[in-house]
Amino acid sequence: MKPELEILRIGNGRPILLVHGIAPVSPRAPFLGPLTQHGAIVAPSHPGFGASPMPPDFETMYDLVHLWCDIIDDMPDDDITMIGFGFGGWIAAEVAVARPRKLGRTVLVDPVGIKIGGREDRDIAHFFNTRPDELLRRAWHDPKTIPPGCYGLGWQAVIDDSMTDTDIVTLARNWDSLCLYAWTPHMYNPRLKPWLRRIDVPTLVLWGESDQIVSPDYGRAYAQAIPGARFETIAAAGHHPELEQPAAFVDRVVQFMTETTKP
Amino acid sequence: MTSIELWNHCENPYPFVPAEVLDAADSVRASLPSKYCDPVVAARLYDEIWEEYRLCDDIGLHIVTNEHHSGINNLWAASPVITGIVASLTHKVRILSLGTLVTVRPDPVRVATEYATIDVISKGRLDIGFVKSGATEMVSGNANPMHIREREWEAIDLIEKSLTTHDGPFSWEGKFFTHPHVNVWPRPFQSPRPDFWAATSDLPTCAELGRRGYVNTLLFGGYDRTRAAYRAYKDARAAAGLAKAGEDRFSYMAFCYVGDTDEEAMRIGQKIPWFLTVSIKSAPQFSKFQPGAIAPEMAPAAWRGGASKRPTDLSVASLIAQGQMFCGNPDTVARQIKEFRERVGGVGRIIMMTRQGLMTHAQAMKSFNLAAKEVLPQLQDLPPIDDTEQAAA
Repeated sequence: MKPELEILRIGNGRPILLVHGIAPVSPRAPFLGPLTQHGAIVAPSHPGFGASPMPPDFETMYDLVHLWCDIIDDMPDDDITMIGFGFGGWIAAEVAVARPRKLGRTVLVDPVGIKIGGREDRDIAHFFNTRPDELLRRAWHDPKTIPPGCYGLGWQAVIDDSMTDTDIVTLARNWDSLCLYAWTPHMYNPRLKPWLRRIDVPTLVLWGESDQIVSPDYGRAYAQAIPGARFETIAAAGHHPELEQPAAFVDRVVQFMTETTKP
Repeated sequence: MTSIELWNHCENPYPFVPAEVLDAADSVRASLPSKYCDPVVAARLYDEIWEEYRLCDDIGLHIVTNEHHSGINNLWAASPVITGIVASLTHKVRILSLGTLVTVRPDPVRVATEYATIDVISKGRLDIGFVKSGATEMVSGNANPMHIREREWEAIDLIEKSLTTHDGPFSWEGKFFTHPHVNVWPRPFQSPRPDFWAATSDLPTCAELGRRGYVNTLLFGGYDRTRAAYRAYKDARAAAGLAKAGEDRFSYMAFCYVGDTDEEAMRIGQKIPWFLTVSIKSAPQFSKFQPGAIAPEMAPAAWRGGASKRPTDLSVASLIAQGQMFCGNPDTVARQIKEFRERVGGVGRIIMMTRQGLMTHAQAMKSFNLAAKEVLPQLQDLPPIDDTEQAAA
């Protein structure tokens, strides 16, 4: 039986599927408005995130990848643009490797998911073992720009009275679920990198220049492992460029969608 | 009639890191660099505690070992290693490993093998204890902190089957552990297996311990939480139609110091709460923000409380009043333990945490001698108690 999912749907037109990172896509995210001018956004929450229940037998990246392949198979249109953010970028990369028939192109935004450096190099700051204020510093170009109602890495350091109890319960649930999927190896699949060569749709790897969770150099290596992939950076943005620089983010995505659409 | 056993629990703390280092550290477990542990000092500590264990063997105090990692609270980093040494040092008393951290260990069959070996070396004096663990231990052991209760039970089940299966290899293909060829040599000395204990105050878990007949021990539960835990155990047995559990199925660990006088005991005993005031300092990512640490619906209250609060009122008098410390001259301590037994509905095994913090070797030896020679005789052949809820009221 397919898991029940919370799904945010906005706009009309070409399908744009968002694969969220550590938190579901907020309806208040500032990039949503401009992006809906260019397509119909579909943003499911992974099992265990937001209001999506966690099925009892669901707990690994293997489960997530097959679920997201199901989601794509079940969408009515083809030529889908899939955009994965951070942890969701890892999922999107795994899904693209599986070559779902309706996938038209992929955008990976500061994705995790592969191992680049040596065995003593930490490619990805540890999400769970790092102090919240240090995560906040590493994840954002300027934490003062975090949009209201949106949460990225280091959210524990900004808990205040403006957050509702419902927000906090949801964040706790998201954090638990993320850990279940990605505690070890922390935030990557040791077998994914060599299989990235299977990705056969146009791919844009987009990176916040100030990301200190996973560096732009990691992003360049990621892009190099995907045939024909393009690597671009966004200035004045960290691990969540779609939240820190929504206009620049949407511009890059729309340009990529235009360039990769057959006339 | 009930006779209470006394057990000595020492974690071999390392209280010699400068205070300014501990104050500046995020956490005194998991992330405190090992450059602050002088191995020469550590070797002396091990020697002192071996001597304490030899004394316990002579005077009839049973011995508890455990393990924690990468911090000042505990140099027993591998309970089976330490327990094996204790098995060789001693000849009479029972030894409880409480325990190796089965939620961190990748192979329960290896754990069963270690324990079976110790049981043989000790000629059947081993008890095996289980703890769910969590927090910094998940970090030090690189163990996913999610679903650890479920993982603990599967580990326990596999360890039990490994210790009690003697007719050839069996296969295990569980959710968390797989092993196609389990065949533990040597088999345990005790038949069918060493007694199992588990440390918990989680009521559903206490109920399961009751159905299984394991010893339920609690750490610092105080009167009410301990009574509720034991009640859950007893009720679960009654609901399952099982025989009433004896008091030997119930255990309690508290701080303990026995002196010649109440004044001396309280003065020296004040060193013991170092365990709570200093040795549990933990960074928020290893504690309240660790995934699985609390149910999500509890997060608003836990997280809005600001930084982790360290306990404040840890005077000996307060701890005694809360049933978390037994402290005084031998008559006082015997009276406190007997009162505790009555208020929680019966307990047969008291675990004394004595050598803690800056407690010296000589001070610990003195307390052990007094506990064995002057407290323990007062805890023998105690009359039955009424453990009904009316009695509690």
